[in-house]
Amino acid sequence: MSTRKSDRVLMQALAVVLALLALSPFLWLLVMSFKTNDEIFHWPPRLFFAATLDNYAALWTTDFRGSFANSLVVSVVSTIVSLVIGVPAAYALSRWQSRSGATITLWILASRMAPPIAFTIPYFLAYRYLELLDTLAGLIVIYLTFNLSLVIWMMRPFYDQLPRALEEAAWIDGATMWQGFTRIILPLSGPGLAATAILCFLFAWNDFFFALILTRTEAMTAPVAVVNFMNYEGWEWGRIAAGGTMIMLPVLVFSFVVRRYLVSGLTGGAIKG
Amino acid sequence: MTSKRQRQFYVFCVAPSLAVLAVITLLPALYLLATSFTPLNLTRPETQWDFSSPLISYGQLLSDDRLANSVWVQIKLSFWTVSLQLLIGLGLALLLNVKSRLLEALRTVFLIPMVLPPIVVAIIWKVIYTPDISPMHGIFRAIGWNVPALITNPDWALTSIIIADTWEWFPFTMLMVLAALQMMPQELLDAAKVDGASPWQLTRHVTLPFIQGVLLVAGLFRLIDSIKAFPLIYILTDGGPGSLTEVTNYYSFLQAFNFSYLGFSSAITVVLLAATIVLSWIIIRAVGWGVRVD
Repeated sequence: MSTRKSDRVLMQALAVVLALLALSPFLWLLVMSFKTNDEIFHWPPRLFFAATLDNYAALWTTDFRGSFANSLVVSVVSTIVSLVIGVPAAYALSRWQSRSGATITLWILASRMAPPIAFTIPYFLAYRYLELLDTLAGLIVIYLTFNLSLVIWMMRPFYDQLPRALEEAAWIDGATMWQGFTRIILPLSGPGLAATAILCFLFAWNDFFFALILTRTEAMTAPVAVVNFMNYEGWEWGRIAAGGTMIMLPVLVFSFVVRRYLVSGLTGGAIKG
Repeated sequence: MTSKRQRQFYVFCVAPSLAVLAVITLLPALYLLATSFTPLNLTRPETQWDFSSPLISYGQLLSDDRLANSVWVQIKLSFWTVSLQLLIGLGLALLLNVKSRLLEALRTVFLIPMVLPPIVVAIIWKVIYTPDISPMHGIFRAIGWNVPALITNPDWALTSIIIADTWEWFPFTMLMVLAALQMMPQELLDAAKVDGASPWQLTRHVTLPFIQGVLLVAGLFRLIDSIKAFPLIYILTDGGPGSLTEVTNYYSFLQAFNFSYLGFSSAITVVLLAATIVLSWIIIRAVGWGVRVD
């Protein structure tokens, strides 16, 4: 749009102000994690205060460390399993025109959209018998409910864009279909795979509800552990802020890497950003 | 043109996913449905497979005032959050849709609330809404306003949830509208400009009609997600004060995991799930999947 120069400057200034305003709650928590408890309650807040890492150090001596490790393990394993099972399916669904496509589409979208409690109740009941409550394996399985669908969603449109001529040429040269997939298609899938893997990791990492209900102590993940600081140990604001910051750090880094794919990841490919 | 060998290969690729999905999503959904026909109460194990009066929970649904209240709270929450997110997202997208290094960088900055783990969003707003440590309350005090704690105040509790939820998800609508704006054909804009359209007319008569489909889809996605609202309510208000912020999903959670009435909770959840599937189906129709012809 051709806008006048003064308008342009005005718009940019407005955008900067709005961005600062929108981010201020987030920045406040970030800064809080480096404050002592006295400093947190100090008003007006000092712009220059003696920053401390005490909250992080204190956090690291608690069970939070184990919960953080649990979060990592569960997120990574559920991502890998989803990719291994889901990527071939995404490829085949892209190449194979079948009448049941619309039904599978609805099924996959509905599994992604279903309220978590719809899965939590039956999983909770089943896990009581299978002795999977409070285990990492139990969490990994329930995370597949959204991550496997996500893989198929993200990768299918990606393969739609890869020309069929690629693997057909390989078949003519005598490659089997499996070889065509593993030697020709997979190496070309790098960027799509990376973005999908990161989004899977983030969805598992961000989960709160499933972990809240299906874990107690052993398999507790970091988001649930932080909330426990609120309930049982008084209001340790510094530690809560530090815990929150540690949980959001990997998320911020990864999100920045895959920001282009965020829309299609969140909407299941409805719109390609 | 798919040969038999090709079909075998595709089935071989798709089968594991479908089998796993069947076990981890279809089976639990059926289990949920079965549970909803029992009066299952965890403190009374004999109720687990008691199908003697299968519709008892569904009957209770109709006469439960607290459930009716939760549906009304849900409607208010969904209406305000979806509308505000669409408005703010649209406004920001229009503001940021200008070719400029600065604004392109800002787009990424605006995404932060959406990508934060929901539990961190809840913690952030817990801080903002706790008067002792809140910068917001600090400012209110400084200018002489005596504002009570919002999340425990009956007049403000739901509004405070709406504000937090809007903050978390306005980037989503913004991102979708931006994506649509970038697909807008330049000729369309040029033609309107040649005809002497003002920037306002351009937005009103050219841009808005072009993106209304995206607004619909974004709104539907947010609507479905708003039914799942959980961490914010769990951390900020716990459904209170009273049950003023208790949405249906939250009420179902309380019935199941605080009061142990899993049968009744399953019945509520079946209805929620049905609503989700209908909305998903509407999205699929709106986007036009399934009629895909390559």
